[in-house]
Amino acid sequence: MTAPIARETPATLVNPAGIEGIEFVEYRTPRPQALGQVLEAVGFRPIARHRSREVLLYRQGGMNVIVNAHGVAAAAEGDVPQIAALALRVRDAAAAWKRAVDLGGWPVPVQVQPMELHIPGIQGPGASRLYFVDRWREFSIYDVDFVPIPTVDPVVPAVQALHWFGVVQYVGLDRSADWSAFYSALLGFAELPAEQRFGILPSGRVLASPCGTFYFQLVEPQTIDADDAHERLHRVAFGSADVPAATAALRERGVDFVESDALRSDTSGALTRPQLGGVMFELVHHRQE
Amino acid sequence: MSAHQADTIADFGMDTITLAGPLAAKLRAIRGAGFGQVMLTARDIVGHADGWEAAVDEVRGSGLRVTGFQVLRDFEGLSGHLHDYKVDVARSMIDLCAALRSPLLLVCSSTSPHAGDDEAAMARDLRKLAMMALPRGIRIAYEGLSWGRRINDCVGAWRIVCKADAPNLGIGIDSFHSFATRTPTEVLQDVDPQKIYLVQLSDFMWQEIRSVEERIDTARHFRVFPGEGVHSDELCRLVAGLDRMGYRGDYSFEVFNDDFTQMPLPLVAERARRSAAWLAEDVLRRAAPLPGGPRLRAA
Repeated sequence: MTAPIARETPATLVNPAGIEGIEFVEYRTPRPQALGQVLEAVGFRPIARHRSREVLLYRQGGMNVIVNAHGVAAAAEGDVPQIAALALRVRDAAAAWKRAVDLGGWPVPVQVQPMELHIPGIQGPGASRLYFVDRWREFSIYDVDFVPIPTVDPVVPAVQALHWFGVVQYVGLDRSADWSAFYSALLGFAELPAEQRFGILPSGRVLASPCGTFYFQLVEPQTIDADDAHERLHRVAFGSADVPAATAALRERGVDFVESDALRSDTSGALTRPQLGGVMFELVHHRQE
Repeated sequence: MSAHQADTIADFGMDTITLAGPLAAKLRAIRGAGFGQVMLTARDIVGHADGWEAAVDEVRGSGLRVTGFQVLRDFEGLSGHLHDYKVDVARSMIDLCAALRSPLLLVCSSTSPHAGDDEAAMARDLRKLAMMALPRGIRIAYEGLSWGRRINDCVGAWRIVCKADAPNLGIGIDSFHSFATRTPTEVLQDVDPQKIYLVQLSDFMWQEIRSVEERIDTARHFRVFPGEGVHSDELCRLVAGLDRMGYRGDYSFEVFNDDFTQMPLPLVAERARRSAAWLAEDVLRRAAPLPGGPRLRAA
């Protein structure tokens, strides 16, 4: 059957914000070079530099990572790099942003220099931001704000075809329902049934993007006396069609994986050892469509 | 007061609106009477002589837990620039709420003649407000003011909250409005106790309220603490009924009284303590202390 009738159309087909994937993930850190080394180990390469700020663009395959050290005081935020923003590819950025704000999103104040791109965004969990980007097919947003690093090829082949799988968000105690409703209302995400889980760290709730290409995972503190109530985007996950091959390839590049009785790499996923006080990446078995 | 009683009244608190004087004195008096929590009014925070940041510091240093923050008025049902204006006001209140680490923002049903009567639109506005508060971990308690334009009791408030269907949106119940409109306690039977976010208690000293004007006047100037007015039986039924249906949230004394703002703060706070002890020990029959420390995680 090719034309599903309304009653049986899955909720995941509804995409009110017009989301079409992840455009970039932005880290903030007072130690951009240290984070750069960590990113290069997992396959990223710096390809461009921001015109006016201390910001670098890293790329691997279809994944873009921005490392932002602009005005980040080491003492103020600690040294651990934080995921500061997630930029979503959408059909119409202005429309997606307006819709999100009309539904209760907090507009992010715009701080652009002349001739720089104004990327609309709303506040995300903790201090993070969720941006909307619609110009990614016809030309690159990075051509506006970034200057290519000479001699570097902007096309960076991905290690074992790694691609974005999703983002893990740490939420407060009893806060999963809140965040699930937030992403559902503002962005059209849909919560998956409990039996549908990915990777080696399946706890919490998993929300599928309305475009079906990536996921959010919401993880609460494990104990009620955990003082880790700080909500944040905790880590990104890369999808890989062959996790053992990807794990082996990354090991060769010097990446360490968590191997313990409680948690170890297998065909469904893997977790890199934390670097720089807490930066880690997850691998998840996933075939990119 | 004994340590034992501090435990039995742990879920009761005072409103700063009942007391005269600067914020620090109010907090001291509330703490001094043995309460562990305080319901804050925006005026007490923004009107602080040294600025709102100093007020936040005083609250954080007071040793009192913040019950909630009040009050956002006339939010729902507006359109166009009036809606945008109120959204701006709401953002400012949510910011303050977050700075105070208040888990709750109290919202009263609209009295505005500019607000429409479309309940779907009201629900949409409250859902938006809930989403605005959500990333900050703040819950919205929607209360039906008895002189509200469209929503004027907890039945109406619950209807809108159900329609809005947001995980951090619930109702606030104020005994004054229930008694003033003679809303029977039984109407709460249809309400999910998990969705009652706050219960504000007070009484007043006469049975009849003949007009809306008199109701507003009584509400703003002549409330007394539970046990001091003429609706003690109704208060007992309300509190016992809430307890029976599984309400485990906070009780705050929302007592607007012109006389109390002319009395020494410790005297007023002591009246509040007696009221809390009466409700906890005689009405709710608490012999054993409530478990202290962090609340148990909901199953």
